[in-house]
Amino acid sequence: MMRRLSVALIALLLALVFWRLVAGYSEQQTLRPLAVWYVTHAPLDFGVPNVVTGILIAWRGFDTLGEVAVLFMVAASVSMLAGVARGTPAAASGSPGEIVQVGAQVLLPLIVTFGAYVIVNGHLSAGGGFQGGAIVASGTMLARPHAALDVDAFGVAESVAGVLYVLAGVLGIVLAGGFLDPRFLPRGQFGAFFSAGAIPLISTLLGIKVGAELSVVIDRFRLADVARKPAPPSP
Amino acid sequence: MRELTGSFFILAGAIFLFSAGFGLLRMPDAYTRIQAGTKATTLGNVLVLAGVAIDQPHWAPRLALVIGFVLLSNPVSSHALSRAAWLAHTPMTPATVIDALADEKRRDAADGRT
Amino acid sequence: MTTGLPISTVFFATGLALALIGLCAILTHRNVLRIVIGFTVVDTGLNIAIVATGYVRGGTAPIIDAGLSRANAVTHAVDPVPSALVVTAIVIGLSVTAMMLAFAIRLFAAKKTLSIDALTDSKW
Repeated sequence: MMRRLSVALIALLLALVFWRLVAGYSEQQTLRPLAVWYVTHAPLDFGVPNVVTGILIAWRGFDTLGEVAVLFMVAASVSMLAGVARGTPAAASGSPGEIVQVGAQVLLPLIVTFGAYVIVNGHLSAGGGFQGGAIVASGTMLARPHAALDVDAFGVAESVAGVLYVLAGVLGIVLAGGFLDPRFLPRGQFGAFFSAGAIPLISTLLGIKVGAELSVVIDRFRLADVARKPAPPSP
Repeated sequence: MRELTGSFFILAGAIFLFSAGFGLLRMPDAYTRIQAGTKATTLGNVLVLAGVAIDQPHWAPRLALVIGFVLLSNPVSSHALSRAAWLAHTPMTPATVIDALADEKRRDAADGRT
Repeated sequence: MTTGLPISTVFFATGLALALIGLCAILTHRNVLRIVIGFTVVDTGLNIAIVATGYVRGGTAPIIDAGLSRANAVTHAVDPVPSALVVTAIVIGLSVTAMMLAFAIRLFAAKKTLSIDALTDSKW
């Protein structure tokens, strides 16, 4: 009873705060000055048509590096916490049935093709590394029980992609303006496939890393050891 | 006129999507919830996309492709979910009288795995 | 055909309403998995609210292609900064959800139940 009352009170107070926020909000008529600078300088400095990808990879590239580090830490923590049971074969779960097998055979090429398209077109149209990597990971989740994909290879691919991403950043120091500056590859023609410096390369590395990482996390959940007893508390 | 028809389809799709959420609340066990959720959301998706295709005819071929992909992938994923729930011995509501998969497994075991 | 509220206000209010619903779910349920779903709903609601603040009246996506030329970009593009922030936020939300689910697995392995009332022995 008291808990219900306090939850209702908290919800009411927060609803009041949100109501004041919505009442004070008015739709913008023109862009803010920072957005104007970004929109005009993205094709000027880097030759990239997609301004959001330019912000994520070029101007705020260090935030993206931090996000890559967070993803890596989450994959390692989930592996440690969920804990794979010793000696569990890769196909420990039951057979997925005929419908899922046939469906996976039809859908997996489509999903992987679409994911690869979204990754490599990140600089030309809506898309990018994170979005395409999530699509590829959903494809491997569909195919996992019936294709027995190798999860160790995914772990190696993830680490190699992460190291190559940092190396691309160091190349930015050596050959261009600073860490993670994508101007060490030629700018090319605006709107062409190979253009905008190293942004397609970084986008591809991000896509491989995110796709492999999410596949590893999902596979760790599939093999999670639910029966393991926790270590006894030290006296 | 075309805009009105498209908006009517989108409204019908929104009603079906709402009924999917409502069904998730009211159904008694996991299997009926999966069934209510999948059927109603697939139909709601198809109706909303059809409404957009009527409203913007130059997008219609691409939206027809998207509807095809939705119809291809939604039933497969819901089948995988409910099969996993059955293999994990999720309890059924007492109103269920037939368990087709258990009968089939029993028949297979009796025939000697044929 | 414009009536009533501008569209970005509707999206902003919807996002904040979702965040409120998710917070009530976190505080009310006793099953750990439903609490995790509540956290996901809060994340989604706040992402919608942040993207909604970037809308410019009559604007389109900030991608310079056949539909939006460089000269028109300043007057007809939507604010790209909230979209970039939300891309990062979605990935971080996914990571937090994965960690919470791993902790839920540990809770079930330790206490054989998914109810969060099983953890009340550390409450004072």
